[in-house]
Amino acid sequence: MNLAVRDVRQDLGRFSLTVVGLGLLLTVVLAMTGIYNGIVDDATALPDRLDADLWIVQRDTRGPFAELSRISGDLEERARVVPGVAHARSYVSHTIQRETPQDKPIRFTCLGLSWPDDRGEGLGIVEGRPIAQPHYEFLVDRSLGLGLGEKIVLGRDTYTVVGITEGMMSSGGDSAAFFTLSDAQRIQNDSPNEAIRLDREARFERVRDSEFARDPELVRFSANPAALIPSLGPVPISAVMVNLLPGVDAQSVRERFKAWRDVSVYTVAEQHQLILGGMVEKTRRQIGLFRAILVIISTIVMGLIIYTMTVDKMHSIALLKLLGARTSVILGMILQESLLLGGSAYVIAIVLGDSLFEMFPRRVVIENEHRISLLILVVLISVVSSVFGIRKALAADPNEVLSG
Amino acid sequence: MTTSTPAIRARGLSKHYGEGNTLVRALKEASFEMYPGEVVALLGPSGSGKSTLLTIMGLINQPDTGWLEIGGEEIMQDGRVVADANLFRRRKLGFVFQRSNLIPFLTAEENVRLVLELDDMPRRDAARRAREMMESLGVADRGSHLPTKLSGGQQQRVAIARALVHRPSLLLADEPTASLDKELGRQVMNLFRTAATQRGAAVLVVTHDHRSLDLVHRIFEIEDGVLDTSAARGASGETRRE
Ligand SMILES: Nc1ncnc2c1ncn2[C@@H]1O[C@H](COP(=O)(O)OP(=O)(O)O)[C@@H](O)[C@H]1O
Ligand SMILES: [Mg+2]
Repeated sequence: MNLAVRDVRQDLGRFSLTVVGLGLLLTVVLAMTGIYNGIVDDATALPDRLDADLWIVQRDTRGPFAELSRISGDLEERARVVPGVAHARSYVSHTIQRETPQDKPIRFTCLGLSWPDDRGEGLGIVEGRPIAQPHYEFLVDRSLGLGLGEKIVLGRDTYTVVGITEGMMSSGGDSAAFFTLSDAQRIQNDSPNEAIRLDREARFERVRDSEFARDPELVRFSANPAALIPSLGPVPISAVMVNLLPGVDAQSVRERFKAWRDVSVYTVAEQHQLILGGMVEKTRRQIGLFRAILVIISTIVMGLIIYTMTVDKMHSIALLKLLGARTSVILGMILQESLLLGGSAYVIAIVLGDSLFEMFPRRVVIENEHRISLLILVVLISVVSSVFGIRKALAADPNEVLSG
Repeated sequence: MTTSTPAIRARGLSKHYGEGNTLVRALKEASFEMYPGEVVALLGPSGSGKSTLLTIMGLINQPDTGWLEIGGEEIMQDGRVVADANLFRRRKLGFVFQRSNLIPFLTAEENVRLVLELDDMPRRDAARRAREMMESLGVADRGSHLPTKLSGGQQQRVAIARALVHRPSLLLADEPTASLDKELGRQVMNLFRTAATQRGAAVLVVTHDHRSLDLVHRIFEIEDGVLDTSAARGASGETRRE
C-alpha cells in the first residue's frame, strides 16, 4: 500500500493549499522563462523578418538595433550599384508614443519602407494589403490593437491602417508600424510651425552676421525651408538593408562595403549577437538571477513543508520502524510525498501558465523544452527538499513509541 | 515442563541509564526461558524495569550485556544484535502497547494489513489474512474506519490484530489492558492466551491487573531491575499445553 498517498489524503486540505501556493511560485518561475524567451524573440523579430543579407550602418556603431546609427540618405543608392547586390532598402526607425482619437495611449515603432520597391509584401501581411500609395497609408502589427481602416494623426497628417502583420516587434518589444520611407521621415522630423520659423530666423541671422552677408542673395536664400537648401543634403537614415543576387559570395560583397570608410557592415547573425549580447544580456542575467532566487525560495518552502510533515508523523515513523519496515519504505514515503507535492504544483503551474500567460502585456514564449526543463527542476527541488525530512525520519527512535 | 525447546532463552541481560549521580541500573543480569504456547505475566512496581526488558527483547533498546536466542536463532551476543533486526521484527515479533498506537492515516484494516505487506505478502493474501484476524477479534466491521473513528476498546483490538496477524513467535505486550475496562481487559488476555495455545506463540505481558492473572501460565516478578522467575504459577493452575 502506498503510505505517501494515504498520509497526504488524510490532510488533503493542507496539502492542497500547499500545492496551490507552490504551484503559483512555479508559475512565476515558468513566467520568468517565458518572458525571457519572449524578449529574445521580440528583439530578434525585426532583423529576422526583414530578411536582409547585410546591414550597412554608421561606421563603428553597433546599430541600428543595439544602438543609434545615422548614415546619409543617399547610401541606399550607393549600395544598390555595388556588383552582386540585388536590392538595397533604407531602414529608419523611431518609437513614438501618442494617443488614439479615443485618448488611449499607444506606443509603437515607426519604420520606413523604400516604397515603391518595397511595399511591405515581405512582412507577412495577414490581413489587408500592402501599401499602395506613396503617402498616408501604413501597415501595423496586430499586437498594437488597431484594426484595418483605422486612422491616426501623426504630425500634420492622417494615416490609415491598410494591412496587419503578426509578430513584428521592435527590439524593445513595441509593436512595429510600417510607413513609406518619406512618411516615416516626415513623422520623425515633424516640427511645430513655430520651431521651423525660429530655426529659419536663426539661420537667417547667422548668415546675415557672417561674411556670407556680402552676398544678399545668399542671405535671402538662407531663410528658405531646410529642404530647399541643397548643401544640407538628404535627411539621414538609420541603416541600409542589402539583399544579394543568388549565388553571390556574401563575403566578397561585404569586403567591398568594408572598404567604405563611413560605414560598418553586419550579417543578420551578427545583428543577433549584437542584440543578444547587449541589451538582452542584462535582461537575461536579471531574469536568471530572479529565477534562481525563486528556485531557492521554492526549495526552502518545500523543504520546510516536507520537514513539518515528517515531524508531524514522527510517531508513525517510529511505529513503522517498530513493525520492522525497511528504511527504504520510510525514505520512500517521504520522497514520494515530496514528489507528489512538487508534481502537483508543477501541473498547476503548467495549466495556469497556459491560460494566464496570454494575458501578459509582453509576449511569453513557452515551448515544450521549457516545460520539460521545469519538470526536471521540480524533481530536483523535490529530492533536495526531502533531504531535511529524511534526516529527521532516520533519527526517529521506535523506543519513543513506548515511552511517549 | 521442559519437554519442548524454549522459544526464548535470555542470559545476563543488563541495562543501565545515565551515569554518576543519575546512574540507574534498570535491568540486572536477567536470565530466563519462555516456551512456545506460554503466556507469562511480568509483574513489578512502576520503574522496576519492565519496559526496559520488553524493549530489549523487541530489539529497540540496546542492553549493556547479555545474550538472547529467539526461536532457536541467536539474536543477541554480548549485548549486540547479530541478526537482521528489521527482518526479525517483521516476521517474529508482535508488539502491543498500553495505548493502541495505530498509524493514524491508515484505516483499521490497512493498519493490520501493513505488517504483512511490509514483508512483501501480496496485497490480496494480506487483505484476506487481515480480515480473518479482525473477524476473530470482532472488529471486522470497522475495517474501513480511521483509528480516530474507533472506540478505545476497538482500537486496542485492532492493535492486537496487527500484533498477531503475521503469527509472531514472540508477542510482547506492555500494559495492554491499562486503558480498558475489566471486561475488555479479560477479553484481551483471553486473546493472548488463544494466540499462545493455538499458534504456539510465547507471550510476555506486563500487567497490573491481578484479576486476569488466572489466565496466564507463569508469572515473572521484577523489582529494582532484578528479575525473579521462580514465582508461583498462574492462579489457574493449568498447564501450558491444554
Ligand atoms: N531512557 C531512559 N533514560 C533514563 N532512565 C530511564 C530511561 N528509561 C527508563 N529509565 C529508568 O529505568 C528504570 C526502569 O524503567 P522502566 O523499564 O520504564 O520501568 P517500568 O516499565 O517497570 O515502569 C526507571 O528508574 C526509569 O526511570
Ligand atoms: Mg513501563
